[in-house]
Amino acid sequence: MNEFWEQTILEPLRELGRQAVTSLSSLMGMLVLILLGLAIGWVAKVVVYRVLRALQFDRLCDRLGVGTEVERLGLARSSSYLAGQIVQGIIVLTALLAGLTAMRSEWTQNLVERFFLYLPHFLAAVVILVAGALVSRFLGRSTLIAAVNAGMPSARLLAGLVRLFVMTLAVVAALDELGIGRTTIIVTFAITFGGLVTAAAIAFGLGARELARDLLQAHFRPTTRPEDKDTMQHL
Amino acid sequence: MAEEILAPQVRDQVTALGTAEIVVGIPSYNNARTIGHVVRAAHAGLLKYFPDRRALIVNSDGGSKDHTREAVEQAQLDTQGLLLVSHPLQPVHRLTTPYHGVPGKGSAFRTIFRVAEMVGARACVVVDADLRSIAPEWFDLLLRPVLEHDFDYVAPYYKRHKYDGTITNSIVYPLTRALYGRRVRQPIGGDFGLSGRLVQRLLARDVWTTDVARYGIDIWMTTTAIAENFRVCQAYLGAKIHDAKDPGADLSAMLVQVVGSVFDLMETYSNVWRNVFGSLPAPLFGFPFEVGLEPVSIDLPRMLGAFGQGCRDLRPVYDQVIPAPILKELTECASLPPEKFVLREETWATVVYEFALAYHRRTITREHLLKSLTPLYLGWVASFARQTEPESAAQVEDRIERLCLVYEQLKPPLLNRWDAGKR
Repeated sequence: MNEFWEQTILEPLRELGRQAVTSLSSLMGMLVLILLGLAIGWVAKVVVYRVLRALQFDRLCDRLGVGTEVERLGLARSSSYLAGQIVQGIIVLTALLAGLTAMRSEWTQNLVERFFLYLPHFLAAVVILVAGALVSRFLGRSTLIAAVNAGMPSARLLAGLVRLFVMTLAVVAALDELGIGRTTIIVTFAITFGGLVTAAAIAFGLGARELARDLLQAHFRPTTRPEDKDTMQHL
Repeated sequence: MAEEILAPQVRDQVTALGTAEIVVGIPSYNNARTIGHVVRAAHAGLLKYFPDRRALIVNSDGGSKDHTREAVEQAQLDTQGLLLVSHPLQPVHRLTTPYHGVPGKGSAFRTIFRVAEMVGARACVVVDADLRSIAPEWFDLLLRPVLEHDFDYVAPYYKRHKYDGTITNSIVYPLTRALYGRRVRQPIGGDFGLSGRLVQRLLARDVWTTDVARYGIDIWMTTTAIAENFRVCQAYLGAKIHDAKDPGADLSAMLVQVVGSVFDLMETYSNVWRNVFGSLPAPLFGFPFEVGLEPVSIDLPRMLGAFGQGCRDLRPVYDQVIPAPILKELTECASLPPEKFVLREETWATVVYEFALAYHRRTITREHLLKSLTPLYLGWVASFARQTEPESAAQVEDRIERLCLVYEQLKPPLLNRWDAGKR
């Protein structure tokens, strides 16, 4: 009877208790790690923000055009603050993953493993997007200034198209890196871009034949440019 | 030991020549049509005005494809047609050499200066190879202040059409004058006289492989001479007429090169100009006489159109550079009818100073910044041309003088903000 009691009732209860204690300690460990991560993350954010501000990181970002983008997109109140937030996010995320690892369950282990496998792709996509934003801004502004100095009436439209084109390329490349709808996106992009170019070519050829002729003539058989009406020496 | 820039055979030639008191340098690139005339004028000038001094004419060529060097060698240097007061005691030697280094006038100057240093020249004069109006008197005017009055730098003073030299008149001259306190009317004239000691100082500088050598050699030499307290004067040379301008020359590229050089020098000499207030005249040699000038035509509607489009389309760029009240004023001006279009001197000087500050702080990419100045510059030129249409040359000069004074008045606020972080 005692043996039956021991094997059927007490032993499972003890096992349950042991598991409960193990789970509870894992849970506690996870909570402690997350709380620690939150605290360290907050401190790190403040420290990074203040150090970068002291180093005039915002001025550097403004020069590179990043500061304006951060402000325009409402990402943060300044580039230094955004950098602090990114550091905080990384620390909190690391703590969360460490906490999940502390749970020692197959599901959490699997989740952590998959996260780390995906992380490089995610980071590469972020880098592609940031680089795309910077390049599109730079090329857009180059086009705008050159077009205005050349007296082209549609300078802003042209600059906008350049920015849109570069940004679209960056988004497509980023999504491709993330493996989201890879084939669909590339095909959609190719069809849309090809369609736009064809439409623009037809519109230009049909609707602006005179302009097309003048432009080609000016390029291949230049006569007098508008500024040549001036005979002044600027220097 | 300093890098030797002369080819061995050129060095041997120079060594064989021995010493020379005067070196005339003529940098060239595809100037076969005009360089013969320049060489003859130099030769005649040296024989006429400095017959007892050993002189050397150096042509430093940038790899011309049009037989420029042959034109120099074939230039007839006979003196039969010259009325010489005294018989020349010393022959004038000639040397033509390709230059090495970065393409541009700077490398040509470096070669000329190195030759001048090697022969121990007391005075060196450099003149453009495309000049049509050059006369033997130019060499007297550019050399005598150095040889007999102990000046180190002789800048040219030309008689120009009121619509000519607008970058000089509206930016380079007023800004250089306000910054460094010397009234050198043509700081980027192209024809200069230099003393041997200034030549040595310039040669010792580490700028010969930079953009200064490519684009900004004239303003660099003028600024260096003024900022480093060399004795500077001017020589009245009359009209400057040169070969037809390059039709492909792009105004915005020109602004990038010239204004960028001036702004770069502001960084280099910020410790000098921050202590300078007001300006002093630079002595003028020669007799200012009236000359007939070639007519100049300008396309006012195009300039106004460019200014209007710039104010409209480049707003995102200007927002980062120009203070809101000035930008508002510019935008309002852009909407004025052509017959009422006027930009105030204060507005223009403020715009230039704001661009200088933005360049210093790298508010945006420097090339973008300088190129975006083009429409505003055209607006200023249009305003200037419209207002000066009925005015005489003297009245126009008074107007430029007023602009210079505005630049000088607005300098202290610039100075206050030069080191500050934010506008």
